[in-house]
Amino acid sequence: MKILHLLRSEPDETVERLIEAMTDNEDETTVKPLFKPNLDWSRLVDEIFSHDKVISWW
Amino acid sequence: MKKVAVVIKDVKQQYEGLRTSLGALLDNVEIQMFVLNHEIENMDEAYHDNMELLDEMEGERFSNNSANVEKYGFVHTTLKEAAQKLRAADLVIPF
Amino acid sequence: MSEKLGILVGTDKHLDYVINLTKAAHAKGKTVEIFFTGYGVYLTQKPEFEQLVGKAKLSVCDVSFRAYGLSGDVPGVGFKDFATQARNAEMMIECDRYVVF
Repeated sequence: MKILHLLRSEPDETVERLIEAMTDNEDETTVKPLFKPNLDWSRLVDEIFSHDKVISWW
Repeated sequence: MKKVAVVIKDVKQQYEGLRTSLGALLDNVEIQMFVLNHEIENMDEAYHDNMELLDEMEGERFSNNSANVEKYGFVHTTLKEAAQKLRAADLVIPF
Repeated sequence: MSEKLGILVGTDKHLDYVINLTKAAHAKGKTVEIFFTGYGVYLTQKPEFEQLVGKAKLSVCDVSFRAYGLSGDVPGVGFKDFATQARNAEMMIECDRYVVF
């Protein structure tokens, strides 16, 4: 499964532990911080639709 | 039927998360609601009634906070167990 | 039919994310639906909110809107788009992807 984790803000311990525990060895996991400057939003749209699951963490 | 996990970590969003869960249940969405880290801050009549409605409509509710388990009947979960349920859900909605 | 992106806005923190993602998705021919609920309804009062008009189907939780003391017209949001949580549930069911801000 391809999982895209969107980080709305700097992740706390809970978010880090959840992402780690959700990840299976066979998964393709992408973590995308939205709070970093110069985000390519057009590319993000492509990534959202090319992953099976998208989670927008706090 | 779509399976949705509503994950509530922000104390100020506890009621909103419950409202979202109920709205989805009414539309035939399968709901698992997780209240993480914090005890329910305001167990007023509205929250209590809506929580009972969630139970009646066969929504599931979990918490890693022992007070929520002991006082309000949430099913205990660890973060690791919660993560596995989130992995199996079609949608995850963090509040 | 074009792919559909649902956006649930439950906080008043990230209008810039909502606008940037909506513009980018619209430019790529995606259909975008946005539901503002809880604290998210405060974003309807920001001048930048108008940038969403014409790029997404906009709905607002009527209960939240009134509970937070708001009233009056919202750009791009018709009478029928002041909706219940059922609108959000429809979005969960119908959208190909669903993000939360």
